[in-house]
Amino acid sequence: MIDRLYRTALFGSAALLIFANSANAQICNSTVRVLAQPRDSLTLLENYKDEFKKLSGASFEFDYLNENDRRAKSRAEAATTGKYNVYYIDEANVALFAESNWIVPLLDYYPADASYDDFDAGRKKVASYNGIAYFAPIQGGGDLLYYRKDVLEKAGITPPKTLEEYEAALAKLNDPAKGFYGTALRGGRGSGANVWRWMTYFKAFGGEWFVDGKPAFNSDAAVKATETYLRLFKYSAPGTQTGSWTEVTEAFNSGNVAMIIESSPLAGQTEDPKQSSVAGKVGYTVPPRPLVGGGYGHGLAIGAKANADDAAKKCAGAFIAWATSKQNEERRLEQGIFGDINRTSVINSDAFKKKYGAEIGNALNETAQYTDVNFWVNADWPDLGDRWGIILEELITGSRTDIKGGLDELEAYANKLIARR
Amino acid sequence: MNRKTSLPLLFLIPPLVVLAILAFVPTIAAVNIALQNRELSFPNSSYVWFANFIDLFNDRRFLNAIRISLIWEVVTVTATMLVAILLAIFLYETASLRMRNLVTVLFIIPVMLPRVSAAFVWKFMFNPLFGLINYPIKLLTGAPVDFLSLPSTALASVAIVDVWQWGLFFSVIILKLLETLPPQPFEAARLDNARTWEVHFYIGIPMLAAPLLSLVFVKMVESLRAFDLIYVMTRGGPGIATETLDMYAFSQGFVEAGKISYASSMAVLMMFATIIAFTVLWKWVRKWQ
Repeated sequence: MIDRLYRTALFGSAALLIFANSANAQICNSTVRVLAQPRDSLTLLENYKDEFKKLSGASFEFDYLNENDRRAKSRAEAATTGKYNVYYIDEANVALFAESNWIVPLLDYYPADASYDDFDAGRKKVASYNGIAYFAPIQGGGDLLYYRKDVLEKAGITPPKTLEEYEAALAKLNDPAKGFYGTALRGGRGSGANVWRWMTYFKAFGGEWFVDGKPAFNSDAAVKATETYLRLFKYSAPGTQTGSWTEVTEAFNSGNVAMIIESSPLAGQTEDPKQSSVAGKVGYTVPPRPLVGGGYGHGLAIGAKANADDAAKKCAGAFIAWATSKQNEERRLEQGIFGDINRTSVINSDAFKKKYGAEIGNALNETAQYTDVNFWVNADWPDLGDRWGIILEELITGSRTDIKGGLDELEAYANKLIARR
Repeated sequence: MNRKTSLPLLFLIPPLVVLAILAFVPTIAAVNIALQNRELSFPNSSYVWFANFIDLFNDRRFLNAIRISLIWEVVTVTATMLVAILLAIFLYETASLRMRNLVTVLFIIPVMLPRVSAAFVWKFMFNPLFGLINYPIKLLTGAPVDFLSLPSTALASVAIVDVWQWGLFFSVIILKLLETLPPQPFEAARLDNARTWEVHFYIGIPMLAAPLLSLVFVKMVESLRAFDLIYVMTRGGPGIATETLDMYAFSQGFVEAGKISYASSMAVLMMFATIIAFTVLWKWVRKWQ
């Protein structure tokens, strides 16, 4: 009870600090409109609408679209009508939004006392373009190797530390006759789907997207990465060949898969008995070497068009500061919304350790050193990445077999993209 | 007596003007955009005239999309009509009036489901790990079949859902049409010892030729708009195995590239191809009738 009172007081004072400069002023004159994708943390914010209204003088409204539709619609919307004050964007399209001037630099309007520096370094890195921060993180992280402790123990296998050990373990654990599979890989098209996972192999083998402005990905590293990725699909659960995050995490959480290398927010789902049948049976460690974990981040950015003047931009900045504040992250922690915790002060808190145990926290800290920005940081990345996603899906599902031919096709497309800029 | 009056014009002109605006403004805008190099991420654009159309014919995905669209059109229209005719005849011959009324209600339900909902339900049923369709397959063969991930089965699997929605609905329409036909020709044929299939093949179906052709045209138009079904079930995959023209145009315009001029050029080509195809077909059918 005392703990709760103390926390409430803390939340209150943090909020007051953020809005101290404008305690007697109305920060917002109209409802803040946000184009977002569904996240538990955003749904949770809606329970505290009154709090934001009291602090800013206005309310907010979310329009939700699933990830792929959000990406498609936000690009079309920002380029044309631009009616949203705040956009939910991600690491893959921050360059496009920033270069097209659809969003404005965040820190010009993000209150200094809202402690932007408190966010995890990896997430701040992917939220920036040309060294300027554009969004405040809502979710993000790197990769972890999730393994079934009970299954590996029974098979006498220790968690693999290298890619060779990983492949050997998958071969041993894969048992399709019993409906049990070694792993679950993302095969479905998309720069944020199959390409996202493939890039960890590409980078591991020394691949580079561009060197001196010229495409360099049509390389031995890309061929080797593709061959390895395709080979591992022999051990991947059915349905994952054209599936993405949803399909692979469902396969793992339903208990049909031995090991999975996935983004860190999965840990929260895996340990939630309501969403997972393997809660308490999963071990966490860093992905096998030399894989390079894909650092990613999604967050809220200030729209340029809908916020015509400085006052409107300040209002959007105040909303983002409140939505991503420490007090709201602590509320997420309390609700078990693991994937949406981004502040180091919360990740390193005793409350976090108490809730998720030391193993996940240690794995998260350890994986940070093996995490990098694997994609090409450029406005044309979504286009190029999605094009490779389709070719890769064709290779995975067997409708084409020429890896080199696929990379040649991608290179020709990349040259076309560069030529028009 | 001169009965000429301008009253019909008074009533006709306003709706015709509204219709013309609704039809021509977007069409002219689409043609105008198709002749430019407009992309969502570039504020400026210029006229490139027919460059987008020339690029289309060097684009393997566009050529594949034409092929897939044609296959989709032929397969779904043919299968829908076959299923509908066979089911209607089966019900007409075997079911009592009460049973027919009950089945009619059941057969209308699929088409009343929103396409997106139907697509999600079937997508889950095809799921190789949890899907209902794979349960007996796993029992028999020991391994599931990933229908939506195999290039050889993906298009057919989506087509099944389309035929399930429209074939059952059309069977109800054809059943009701059969019930309206005069019984004498059927009775005469049966007295001459004609078999059931002969009765329907030589008498029933020819008598219904005109409404059946109308249904074919309705289904042809409807099949051109299967975007939502394919988008939810396969997103055009695996690879490009189910990528139809509208799917590819949407993908280029909004999902992958933001190339709205390139997407518009596809839409314009589709529009002209559809107008020509339907005009030729319509004239051919009228001549045949």
